[in-house]
This record gives sequence, C-alpha cells and structure tokens, in this order.
Amino acid sequence: MSAYPSNLWSIPLLVVIPIIVAVVVNFIYNRSRLIKIISIVSAVCLALIASLSSYGYHWFTGQPALRPETLTFTFDPGFPAWRLALEFYFGPLQQVMIFVMSLILIFVVAVASSGLTKRQGPYMSMIFLLFASAAIIIMVNDLYHLWIAVEIGSLVVAGVVVGSGTSVSHKAALKYTFFSALSGAGLAIALALILGLTGYSNISDAIRYLQSVNLGEMSIILYVAFAFFVLSWIYAGGLAPIHPLKSEVYGASFPHGTAMLQTQSKLMLVAIGIVMLQIFGMLPFVREVMLAISIITMMLGVVMALIQTDFRWILAYLIVSHSGLVTVGISLGTTEGLVGGIFQAVNDVIYMTVLLLCCEALYYFGGKTSTRNSLGLAKRAPWLGMAVILGTMAASGIPPFNGFQSELILIQASLKAGLPEVAAVILMVSVTTFIALFRAVYRLFLKPPETSEPVAEVKVPRSLYIGLWVFVALTLIIGVYPNIVVSFITPVAQAVSIPWYL
Amino acid sequence: MIEVTIQLLGFIAAAALVVIGIAGMLFLDNLIKKIISFTLLSDGVNLLLVALGYVEGGIVPILIPGMSVSEFAARAALVFPVGIVLTNIVIGVSTTAILVALAIMLYRRYGTLKASKVLKGERR
Repeated sequence: MSAYPSNLWSIPLLVVIPIIVAVVVNFIYNRSRLIKIISIVSAVCLALIASLSSYGYHWFTGQPALRPETLTFTFDPGFPAWRLALEFYFGPLQQVMIFVMSLILIFVVAVASSGLTKRQGPYMSMIFLLFASAAIIIMVNDLYHLWIAVEIGSLVVAGVVVGSGTSVSHKAALKYTFFSALSGAGLAIALALILGLTGYSNISDAIRYLQSVNLGEMSIILYVAFAFFVLSWIYAGGLAPIHPLKSEVYGASFPHGTAMLQTQSKLMLVAIGIVMLQIFGMLPFVREVMLAISIITMMLGVVMALIQTDFRWILAYLIVSHSGLVTVGISLGTTEGLVGGIFQAVNDVIYMTVLLLCCEALYYFGGKTSTRNSLGLAKRAPWLGMAVILGTMAASGIPPFNGFQSELILIQASLKAGLPEVAAVILMVSVTTFIALFRAVYRLFLKPPETSEPVAEVKVPRSLYIGLWVFVALTLIIGVYPNIVVSFITPVAQAVSIPWYL
Repeated sequence: MIEVTIQLLGFIAAAALVVIGIAGMLFLDNLIKKIISFTLLSDGVNLLLVALGYVEGGIVPILIPGMSVSEFAARAALVFPVGIVLTNIVIGVSTTAILVALAIMLYRRYGTLKASKVLKGERR
C-alpha cells in the first residue's frame, strides 16, 4: 500500500465536484436548461476523473498521520498512526465502483431534467449529494467519516424520496428517517467501541492492531460493535428484517431516482461489508450471521416481488432481493465469494437501471404501471419492448448477459465453501426473478391491449432511450467479457479474503 | 463492590436515555412525541460518548509548552469522542429538522399526527 503516492489531487474531486454542483443547482433552483447543462457536464467530468485518475491516497486538509510516540507527522500511508484527517483511498475497486456510479448519474440527471418541471434544482442537488455520500463511503479509510457519510447518505435518501412529491413518498421518507436515527446511533456506538478497543479510528490501523493482539475476554466488546455494525449494514442495504422499509423507499421514488438510490445502496453494502469482513471476519459466527441475513433477504425479497401487482413494486422488492445476492458473496469472505459479490453489485446496478428506465418510460405512455393493465407497449414502442426483455434476461441470470456471470461465480463460490444449500437458494432467486419480471413484462409490454382505442403519439426523451441502450449494451459486453470488471475486483478480493473454514 | 464513579453514572444515564428513546420511538403514537424520543436517543448516545472519553482528574487535550508528552498522554481527556459528539449533535439537528418537516407535510394532508392513522394503508 505504501507504494502508492499520497495526496493525489484528483481523488477528492470525486467528492468535491458533486457537493459544489449540489450547492449551485440548488441555488439556481428553477433554471431548467442551465441546471441540465451543469448537471450533465459535471456527471461526465466525474466519470472521466474516475476512469483516468491514478491510484493512491489523499489526506484532506493536508494533514497527514500523526505518530503517537513523537507527535510528528508521517506521510507513509502504511504507518500505524493517528489519522485525524479525512483519508481517502482510491484503488481498482473504488475506480470501477465510482465509474459505474458516475455513468448511471449521467443518465439519471439527463432523464430527470427531461421529466421534471418543478423543483428541479433541489431534486438534482439531492441526486448529486447521494453520489457524494456514496463516493465517500467507497473511498474513505476511517470509521469516523464512514459514519458521517452513512448519516448524510440516509438524510439525502429521504430527500430524493420526498422529491417525487406524493404522500406515499413522504410516509416512506419519514419511516426511513426514523430508522436511520437508530442505525446511525448504532454505528456511532460501534465506532466508539472499536476506537476504545484499538485506539484507532483509521480502518487500516484498527485492522492491523486487531490482527496483532489476542483480545481474549475483550472480544465480547468486538461482538457488541459487530452487532451495531450489522444494524447499519442492514439499514444501508435494506436487508431483512427492514426490507419492507427500503422497498417502500424504492417504490415511492421516481424510477430514475430509484436507479441512483439502488446504486448508492448496493455500493454501500459492498464498502461497509468489506470493512466488516476485515474488522470482524476472524471472529467465530460473524460470517454465519452475515450469511443468514443475506439468505433471508434474498428469499423474502423475491417472494414479495412475486406477489406484487405493480411493476414499480416488483422492481423495488427485486432490488432488495438482489442486495442479498451481493451480500452472500461478501459474507462468504472467500476470494471467489468476494469476486462474485462485488461483481454482482456492479452487474446488478446496471441491469436494474435498464429495468428502472423502462419503468420510467411507462410514465410517458400514460403512467400505468399496474400489471393488471394490458398495454401492448411492445407494438407501440418496439425498442422499449426489446430493452425490457433483455433487461429481464440479464436480471434473471440468463446467458450471455452479465447477471449470469456473477451468479455463476457466486454459485461456484458457495459450492467451493461446502455450502450447496446456498447455491440452491441463489438458483431459486434467479428463477423466481424471471417469473416475477416476465409476468409483469408480458402484461405491460407483450399482451395486446384490451381496448382498441386510438392512442396518441408519445414522445419519450431521447436521453432515456440512449441511457437504456448504453446499459443494455453494458449487460451484454460484461456478460461476454466478464474480465473487463473482474480484473479490477480480483486483487482486492485476494487481499481481504478469508478461507470459509478457519 | 462496584465503585460508583462519574463515568459509571454517565453510562447508566446514557443507557436510560437510549432505552427511553427507543421505547418512545417504537411505542408512542404521536409523531411529535416520536421525534422527541429520537432526540432523547441521540442525547443518550452523546452522553455515552462523553462518558467514554472522561478521564478522572484529566486536563483539556491541548499540549501546553513545557508539558512533557508522557504527562500529556497520561492526563489529557480523550479528544475523539468529543469530536464524535459534536458531529452527532449536528446530524441530530439535521435529522430532527427533516422529521419535523415531514411531520408537518403529513399533518397538512391527513389533519392528524397519529402515526397509526397517517402511516396506515394507501400505498400507491
């Protein structure tokens, strides 16, 4: 790690730019055209920075680590010391995660600026703050700022949900914010306990300390900290038992908002999951608990999706269910499991964005998302019909799409860890996802409409179609060439992995 | 026999505040009372953090000229929990503001602050 150069100027820009844009677009409030230009240009810049930046560390405020014995500064990122400044680490994993997130951001802001007529500035501001909070969580290397970013993220989630302006969204935001109070407090206590136990809030230093000492009876404190961390993890990803709360948040937002919310949520799950694995992974029963939560989430989410009669809510529950797929891989903690889990997170946000953009398009065709309606949209909008079918195939893990590759790795990882029952559950989720989605797609897109009334010409924004096909192409490209993403993930997975049988 | 110290009293008071706060959030029906319960919970966490950082006979954690590093390390109160508390206060205020704003919006729509009535039914 110490081979990486420190204080790279490009790294903080991934957080600073969205914050500045959030302030600016909020300030110019209702000047739609200007907001659109600023938002899209900034999102493109973020994608470029994420793809071109070198790997390394950055200390905000220019204050590096403080050596406790001499009270002098050290610029060595590998040296165990008091790291009081905001410390970011940008490596291959962070690069691929932030790049995918910024790609989604580009199309989310383009679609939002085409569809929204009122309160565009504050809404766009929330979208950019969502990006900033997720970027911090992905890159940050200390527990204190991780906690702050999780708290900011949860408040911004409430803001994005409220942005859709319905009473349902207000209620969903209220419930979610109440629970954020509990999980935020829990994470603060976990942070305090780890700090008290190790003396470090820096994640690398705390892990190094925990690996070098035998905690003995004090390990009970680590278990308590783990319990509070799990609370926050569950909250971030909407894992069981709070899956109805998160599904409500997804269902109550605009579909493009949900695309950004689910991206933030899944990437947070990965980032926090890896931190948990590194700090607590060596303790007995920790990974078993994480695995149990993941399996329950997968099953509950997909069963709930099956009984829904609205495309939005089917997607909302499937997003939660597939969060369980991501965390299964991370919970296994093996190299294959981690590669599968992180790869699944990346794939998941891509194919879910395809489906959510298709759902967004339904708003332009009259706004009916209930599967009780037969709209026959595939005839009226054949490109949209094709995109939703391809998205369904990717989400169901059908080859040659990206979902297949990551689910295959996850199944192999489960079998290699000696857990065939987990592999069976993953297969079951895959099949049930197909049934839940195809039922809705058939009713809304393929089944001819019950009435033969003449329909008015509908103009779907070009940005929506472009976004749709960019992400459809990505599902196919990553499905055929998985190494494009896996090569970024594997080194990190190897560095933090733990064998399933210790 | 457990010695009753200021720190222990702080822990007990913090635990009481957290339990009262969680109970209020879960069992009270009025949205404003739920929000007040949340502030109690937040205060409980703050008190816990302050108690964690308490050092008997401690000094303000500023290295004064002439003071040795070992003396400073032995007597200075822990600065980090105080930093967390400050942040938690700011986060608490922001969360409370959002909760109150949402409660006002829901009150305007439903004409009641009873969570059981406001949050029930009507999903789409």
